[in-house]
Amino acid sequence: MKTKSNKNKIQIFLLLLPGLAVFCFFTVYPIIKLFLMSFSKWDFTSMRQQEFIGLQNYREVLADKFFWTSFTNTIVYTLVTVPLQMILGLFVAILVNGIKKFQVTFRVLNYLPVITSWVIASLIFRYVFNTEGLLNYFLSQVLHVTASNIRWLDSRWSGLTVAMILGIWKGIGWNMVIFLAALQQVPIDLYEAAAIDGCNGIQKFFKITLPGIKGTILFVWVMLTIGGFNVFTSIKMITGGNPAHQTDTILTWMYYKAFSTGKFGYSAAVSFIMAFTLGIMAIFQFKAMRNRDRELEEIG
Amino acid sequence: MKEKKSVIFFRYALLTIGVILSCLPMIYMISTSLRPNGALYEYPPRFFPKLQDVTVENYQYIISQNKFYINFFNSVIVSVSTVALAAIISSGLAFVIARFQFPGRKVLFGFIIITMIIPGTTLIVPQFELAVKLKVVNKLWGLIPFYTAWVIPFSTFMIKGFMENIPDEIIEAATIDGADIFTVFFRIAIPLSTPAIASVSIFNFLTAWEEYPWANTVINDNAIRTLPIAIAGFFGQHQFTQWGYVFAMSALSLIPVILVFILFQKYFVTGLTAGSVKG
Repeated sequence: MKTKSNKNKIQIFLLLLPGLAVFCFFTVYPIIKLFLMSFSKWDFTSMRQQEFIGLQNYREVLADKFFWTSFTNTIVYTLVTVPLQMILGLFVAILVNGIKKFQVTFRVLNYLPVITSWVIASLIFRYVFNTEGLLNYFLSQVLHVTASNIRWLDSRWSGLTVAMILGIWKGIGWNMVIFLAALQQVPIDLYEAAAIDGCNGIQKFFKITLPGIKGTILFVWVMLTIGGFNVFTSIKMITGGNPAHQTDTILTWMYYKAFSTGKFGYSAAVSFIMAFTLGIMAIFQFKAMRNRDRELEEIG
Repeated sequence: MKEKKSVIFFRYALLTIGVILSCLPMIYMISTSLRPNGALYEYPPRFFPKLQDVTVENYQYIISQNKFYINFFNSVIVSVSTVALAAIISSGLAFVIARFQFPGRKVLFGFIIITMIIPGTTLIVPQFELAVKLKVVNKLWGLIPFYTAWVIPFSTFMIKGFMENIPDEIIEAATIDGADIFTVFFRIAIPLSTPAIASVSIFNFLTAWEEYPWANTVINDNAIRTLPIAIAGFFGQHQFTQWGYVFAMSALSLIPVILVFILFQKYFVTGLTAGSVKG
């Protein structure tokens, strides 16, 4: 399209302007600010008088055992929830793809957990896993597998497990919809050819389905990893980081340090370490996928 | 290819179990909201209330409170404003990036993609500092521009994909007829991109409707709370949480979400899958 006349140039600029303004002001500026904050002594009480302190915040973060607990928790959360969501989501997608009637019904009902808000879903889980809650009653009085009520939410790994179950439960539907769309793009003649060659279902899955949805798998893997690191509301609502910050994740710990102790500089450093880790992981994920491609081509 | 009946039956059976597991927590939430508030840690606890115990008193309590309407209305204002602002702003951005060459175009689009990858909550500290500077703490204006900024990258990305596919001939024909850029944008680009705009709008609505961390940070006063922080606040208020109230309020706040979801189901799937399958 011609952009020669001045009137057109002005109109193009006017269309671009609001987006640029909002983006620069509310996203780019905070990113730069975060970077500067992480190198400054910046407390809630001294918001106007910051001084440059170099790497001190980073040193403090990396020497903090609470930070490492939250870091480990986040890694464990991501390592457990991401593959399980993907496997279960793909499994459900394959099942839905294999039926003719009620496809839409199953898709909609499986998607319900995704649209339930994190606050509400977390409160339901908290209620079910409460010491006096339904689950304990079921385990001890109906199944008789536990002698007394277990305090699920009062210890590190069981508290995290509740958050992880919630994360998986809430994520399967999204995985299903994405994988279902990808499955429907895999050419049917490939399956027919494989059937003629005498491949069984499992062989078809590994030789045709998985390579056929490779791009989607990478996309989902990257998105879920980001989502795993972003876990916040569920931890806040279910355990609140208790006992003694043992169930905090990176973001809940960052939030606590910023808004309960006022150490903004420390929190900025935590945020940056997290963004850095995510960046490294994304590069690693893309590399890993590409290497697998090469291997497959070589075997070929 | 004929498949054995047993295989198909097996699929339906597994799917049904899956759906029950998916819906169980929600059903439990509703069943809890329908029993008397005093009996919430009744012993033995039951999944469904006794039929003679079923009551709507929790709902009556919630809807008899002014607070609820205020919270609900706040959520509506914030969500609708976010959706409207994001739709118009992202469309403009997407249109220019998709159809014109200008210096810095690639850098701008690259930056937009990168910000899609950074989880929103990592920026909460500098954004809070910004909100304090702008004096929007404890105001709905402390939410709307921030939510808009969060959803702009993804919305722009989605709408741009659509606007790239508008055939050149349509736009050229309009230009020959003397249409200026605004006319092309409002009369051709936007109407032809409706499916993309609709689907991102649904996601933006859900994002704003359920957002918790930022609202919880910026908003303090009851009169300015949106539903998610009102629900969370209910939960933290007393030593013994009034679960009946919490879940009645939760169920009510889910009604608009479920309505939007069912009414716009078609756009949901378009929006979800557009970014993922291409690769």
